[in-house]
Amino acid sequence: MKLKILWMYHDLMDLYGDKGNIEVLRRRAEKRGIECIVDTCTLNEQKTIEDYDLFFLGGGADREQQLIYKDLLGRRDGIQKAMDSGTAFLLICGGYQLFGKYYKDQDGNVLESLGFFDYYTIASDRDHRCIGNIALEATIDGDTFRMVGFENHGGQTQNVATPLGKVLSGHGNMYRSSHEGFLNDQVLATYMHGPLLPKNPMAADKILQRALRRNYGSVTLEKLDDTLELKAQEVMLKRLKVI
Amino acid sequence: MDIRLKIVQWSHSLLQKAGRGGSFPGVLALKMDPDFISRFHMPETVILVTGTNGKTTTNNLIAESLRAAGIKTINNRRGDNLNVGIASLLAANSDSSFHIQADAAVIEVDELTLYRQFKNLHPTHLIVTNFFRDQLDRAGEMETIIRRIQEVTEDFEGDIILNGDDPNVIRIADSAKKAKIHFFSVDENPISRRTTDEASEGKFCPRCGRPLVYDYYQYSHIGRFHCDHDGFGRIDPEIRVTSVDYQKEQFVCGGRSFHSFMNTIYGVYNCAGVLTVLKTLNLDPACADQVFANFIIKEGRNEVFQLSQPCVINLIKNPTGTNEVMKYITAQEGDRNLCIFLNDNDQDGHDVSWIWDAHFERLNVPEIKTIVCSGLRAYDMALRLKYEGLEDRVRVIEEDTAAVHWLNEQNMPSYIMATYTALHRTRAILRKEEKK
Repeated sequence: MKLKILWMYHDLMDLYGDKGNIEVLRRRAEKRGIECIVDTCTLNEQKTIEDYDLFFLGGGADREQQLIYKDLLGRRDGIQKAMDSGTAFLLICGGYQLFGKYYKDQDGNVLESLGFFDYYTIASDRDHRCIGNIALEATIDGDTFRMVGFENHGGQTQNVATPLGKVLSGHGNMYRSSHEGFLNDQVLATYMHGPLLPKNPMAADKILQRALRRNYGSVTLEKLDDTLELKAQEVMLKRLKVI
Repeated sequence: MDIRLKIVQWSHSLLQKAGRGGSFPGVLALKMDPDFISRFHMPETVILVTGTNGKTTTNNLIAESLRAAGIKTINNRRGDNLNVGIASLLAANSDSSFHIQADAAVIEVDELTLYRQFKNLHPTHLIVTNFFRDQLDRAGEMETIIRRIQEVTEDFEGDIILNGDDPNVIRIADSAKKAKIHFFSVDENPISRRTTDEASEGKFCPRCGRPLVYDYYQYSHIGRFHCDHDGFGRIDPEIRVTSVDYQKEQFVCGGRSFHSFMNTIYGVYNCAGVLTVLKTLNLDPACADQVFANFIIKEGRNEVFQLSQPCVINLIKNPTGTNEVMKYITAQEGDRNLCIFLNDNDQDGHDVSWIWDAHFERLNVPEIKTIVCSGLRAYDMALRLKYEGLEDRVRVIEEDTAAVHWLNEQNMPSYIMATYTALHRTRAILRKEEKK
């Protein structure tokens, strides 16, 4: 089996260790004997997005996000084609926001986003920035498990029809809200850094399965030794008093 | 006479007598009087030191050099750079009418709080070492830090000393129009590289957004760069290190040879900053060289403890600093063990994701036998190392006393890297372990 990942704006949208997610996907694929190709794509670079099984876009600081904004919007048709062809999507923070309808900044300026989904994001004042460790209960493709991460976002994302999970501890999509992220059967979008995947091996495998689906259908992944992963997760779940 | 000042000074001297330092007097002062810091009559020369890395070292080297030049100087030498630490420093060195009893104050100021304290401290000099990604949950995004420093220095008429090889830092020269700007720079030397995998910031020109062109990198995004479009980065350094000799532990600046403090590239940058400050004060660089040769900075900067075999401890707090410490550790000879203490308390930063931005693959040398992971986020660290293929050498010992004890029992030289809150505890444990 072969897996092709497109890592968008690797040189710009890489905040809070988001690149760790790529390492996790690569390693967990290769451990199962799946050949894993990771290509990067930055500003003004031509890439056929629908050629890839997984599209990954991390978060960026305000300045970086401004730099990629136009370039990303110019790729809307390519992203649509990839969606139609069954590419899986993993979007973190800024990447998550940019797939919604719009982002309204602190001065009230509205930045139109890709508009694939109905959610939208409004910048918060300083007192409502969502920062800290977070734990969720998520259900992905029929399996329910806990996830942990670190959130750090000013944007308040609203009108999310299908969130990723229920907040057990932390803020989520909005300051002190009950739900976090966005999930449909193809796209997983979240504010969780940490990075997200090292301490959430179940979620990592779900994403791998989604990415393999369009070429190989439903794939069963061999179990890996996740002792360290689960221990690191447990330390945080205990600290947050959710187990 | 101010009764509140008296109380603060009294609590300070009591603590001193009990053999304890700490920032309690400052906490007390700011509780009683939020404007406490602004009440002091500052000395003639006030040098503020800020930036991401190298603040404490630079602060100490400047203060010691001024002392060597015969100037009565106070400084927050332990790196207590937040409001409470600065309040404690000032109270401890003031007479009863808020007059600082010194001719110069060298004050390390946290890069995040600088904008609040800048005017209160009446600086004559500001030196900025560098700006790297730090603990971003605490720091907010670096852009905000730089913008705020630009705001408070807009009207500043004193001297600003800038690391001319850091694109984030020299931006301050664009906005501080009234200040006297002095750059320092280090030429290409044996560790310089044409390409890098370390730079995460400073890829783009802050004026026009186009990519910056680098002639060479020293470490992280520090190096010689410019923008082809608008000339950003074309600086004229006042202090320029023209060569570095790591074998002889020397560097050359202005045709004269200096001892290379710490003998690392970031140490050379600290020295260059110090020499620039001295130049603005018309002081003899020989005062600095004497300090570079003899001063020992303790508290977690290559600090050595005598366990069964020597144990060297270093502070780590962000990817760039950690990368440099790892370069140092891997450059040593012989078999050794390593221990990493990763905490996520307030002063460490709650977000430990920065470990994924540091190049831990460098630890993959056969002479590093075991890597002990300890501290509140020991398992996060162990997991990070697993991703560099080091899992067979990883040993998790969450409890810090047990981790140090284990190192001592191995009878092998060891290196410790510890985040801020772990550093102080670990040093205390090492002192006890030394006596066993």
